[in-house]
Amino acid sequence: MDREVLERFRLGDEAAVKAVYDRFGGPIFALSMSILGEHGLAADATQQTFIKAWRAASTYDADRSFGPWIYAIARRTAIDLYRKRARVVVSDEVDVVYLPIGLETVWEVFEVRSALDRLPDEEREVVKMSHFDGLTHVEIAERLDIPVGTVKSRSHRAHQRLLAMLKHVEEV
Amino acid sequence: MTTEDSRAQYLATGSSDVGESNERLDLIRGVLGSEATWAEPPPQVGDGILASLAGEAISQPPADEARTGRWAVALAAVGGLVALAGLVLGTISVVKTDQDNIVAMSGTELETAASGEAEFGPTDAGWWVRLEVTGLPPAPEGSYYQGWVWSDDGEGVSIGTFHLRGDEMPIVLWSGVPLADYPSIWVTLESEADGPEASDQIVMKGRIPDVPEA
Repeated sequence: MDREVLERFRLGDEAAVKAVYDRFGGPIFALSMSILGEHGLAADATQQTFIKAWRAASTYDADRSFGPWIYAIARRTAIDLYRKRARVVVSDEVDVVYLPIGLETVWEVFEVRSALDRLPDEEREVVKMSHFDGLTHVEIAERLDIPVGTVKSRSHRAHQRLLAMLKHVEEV
Repeated sequence: MTTEDSRAQYLATGSSDVGESNERLDLIRGVLGSEATWAEPPPQVGDGILASLAGEAISQPPADEARTGRWAVALAAVGGLVALAGLVLGTISVVKTDQDNIVAMSGTELETAASGEAEFGPTDAGWWVRLEVTGLPPAPEGSYYQGWVWSDDGEGVSIGTFHLRGDEMPIVLWSGVPLADYPSIWVTLESEADGPEASDQIVMKGRIPDVPEA
């Protein structure tokens, strides 16, 4: 992310807030969905994350990467919201229990979504149809009304780009 | 086929000519297939963030010269706050309101001296709510006020936060839910250490009798 934008975000500039939302709104919403599993709650968590980030912006060090900083806020916000909503009274004597929460791939969801949002639209579309919709290249070609060869080349380029952007995730 | 090509093929298909498995790429493939990864935030989330931050900006004490100057220039005119959010995201436009869109706000037993009004109006992506209150003290350090709209079923939705530590009246908040379904307007005192749910420290209440359709 552009250092100047981050600096302006830190100073509370509204255009910079919008730019940061455009870049990180999707990954934060995806992260929130992976923890909360419900669109309304994830929307709440996303909004809370940006408000908290703005409030804490003076603590952000512009020399450091912005992604991990806002990721930490988003993760904590979603977990907090989850715990509030997941409380279950099991008896008069035992107060509450927390439903199990899967955090194993939260970071990966954030990073993968960040990478997907940086793909060209036509490549992102092919990746989604392939992985999320489970379509074959032939089926994608039919749906998009383009040659199968075009689908294959877009898919290959997209996965090469994803690998490059997710190198740090792959090598953990 | 290069190593990069082989790994790209593995990421795409789960197998490659090399024939070796790769746990990390399998994990990434799993993430690529999950619903959460592809979920899109509702359009009003971006609007809500900008409207909330606009409300925060006029209610926050000056933290430093730079912040004060920028927000003062950009957000000084309260009437322009929501319009500014609309300008930035291109979706919000304020609709002119009349006296029917103003309700009285009164302090609860926690703040008996508090009183004021809440004016509201529709936008393209929800409702703006403008509070003018008197008699409500600045939120103590480590706490803040939060506006809520509340349904008759007991569900509350946050519409923004403010501190009252400066000259920031009125306060502009934003609701993404229809006020017809959430006709009660509350203000609570919240601790920064607590989670996002409403506290039981309700300091002001008001109720909209009849809300016109947006």
